[in-house]
Amino acid sequence: MSYKPQYTPGETKIAQNRRNHMDPDFEMKKIRNINDEEIVSVLGHRNPGENYKTVHPPLDEMDFEEDPMKELVEPIPGAKQGTRTRYIQFADSMYNAPAHPYDRARTYMSRFRGVDTGTLSGRQVIEIRELDLEAISKTLLETEFFDPAKTGLRGATVHGHSLRLDENGLMFDALQRYVYNEETGRVSYVKDQVGRPLDTPVDVGEPMDEEHLKEITTIYRSDNVGMREDKEALEAVLTIHEARTDGGYGLGVFKDDLKAKLGDDK
Amino acid sequence: MEPIKAIDVRIFPHRRLKPKTTEKILNELLDLEGVLRFLVNGESLPKIVGYGPARGTSVNHPDRKIITVKGKKIELLVSVGEIVVSIKQENLEEFVTKTKTILEETLNFGFDVRVGVFTRTKTTVSDYLKLGYGIEDNFDPSLVGIVDPKTKSKETVKLIGD
Repeated sequence: MSYKPQYTPGETKIAQNRRNHMDPDFEMKKIRNINDEEIVSVLGHRNPGENYKTVHPPLDEMDFEEDPMKELVEPIPGAKQGTRTRYIQFADSMYNAPAHPYDRARTYMSRFRGVDTGTLSGRQVIEIRELDLEAISKTLLETEFFDPAKTGLRGATVHGHSLRLDENGLMFDALQRYVYNEETGRVSYVKDQVGRPLDTPVDVGEPMDEEHLKEITTIYRSDNVGMREDKEALEAVLTIHEARTDGGYGLGVFKDDLKAKLGDDK
Repeated sequence: MEPIKAIDVRIFPHRRLKPKTTEKILNELLDLEGVLRFLVNGESLPKIVGYGPARGTSVNHPDRKIITVKGKKIELLVSVGEIVVSIKQENLEEFVTKTKTILEETLNFGFDVRVGVFTRTKTTVSDYLKLGYGIEDNFDPSLVGIVDPKTKSKETVKLIGD
């Protein structure tokens, strides 16, 4: 590549955290261990130990018309084997969660191959072949992308990202998929993504310290680092806004065009 | 019925309250002078999963508990976010100071206490339908403003006083 991607503008720590998330060469700090079977059970798409269900035979066994694009693009492992497309969805609290939906979308696009991601105000879904999904989920759950209290793993009934936290600092969850143990101070998932009870709870560790979250968050907040404090980010946003408005309304373009049509341009 | 002068006091904690804390606060507030009624508001907690693949399974939310207020058992249907207390006008000042002291002792996080009108004061058609079971019937005017038009009043309104 002849240029170095800049990812996102900004001169504050928030902007730097965003760039760290998006940069595939930046290694996110691993802070917990969750074994593969536990991740599979929390995702709830297949039982641990069960084979992957497939939607088509392996690509090697299929006949295709000659297509140069197929030669150019290397398929991801899940596509090669023909496994189903499945999802993982996160809700991030506005109280300084490590990631947020737009940051996640950009991160997924720049870090992983073959993903389809959907951004909504309070949740962010990532869809990919099941085989690759589990590997990605492991990265997302074990590193600083995830905080047990401020990030929720939610397939359905996601509401809660903009609500006040509870007394233990946990984000609201109507289905209470994860519980806080007041004696050990650890959070564990007792239900899978969509709210089906798990046989054995999955321990995801202690919630991160509020002060530490303020350091690693990617959310601008006036009680931490406000967006107005970030001159560079603000300038970029304003430039885009201005260009979109000018371009969208065709200011300075349509006017001349109209004049020409009216024969008024001479 | 003689009209009385009443005003609302809204307690807004900066975190959602656990049932145990709610129970403690409600019991302590009920002992204060001039309290007329409480409105406990918050995000509603479902009993069963409403949609998705787990539809129909029970939720068992730890915040949806039965609390005891003045000896009466009340099921909390919400994750408590605010408490609106209607209070007699003459007891207002004393009530606000005492409430602040109670909250400072109970909570280890911030809260706001505001005075104003936070419940509806005028009667609506739905009040007649909900509270009087028929437009001609009379109903208790002290319940105006605390009825949730989407639910059955019997489930959401509890009479605990004398």
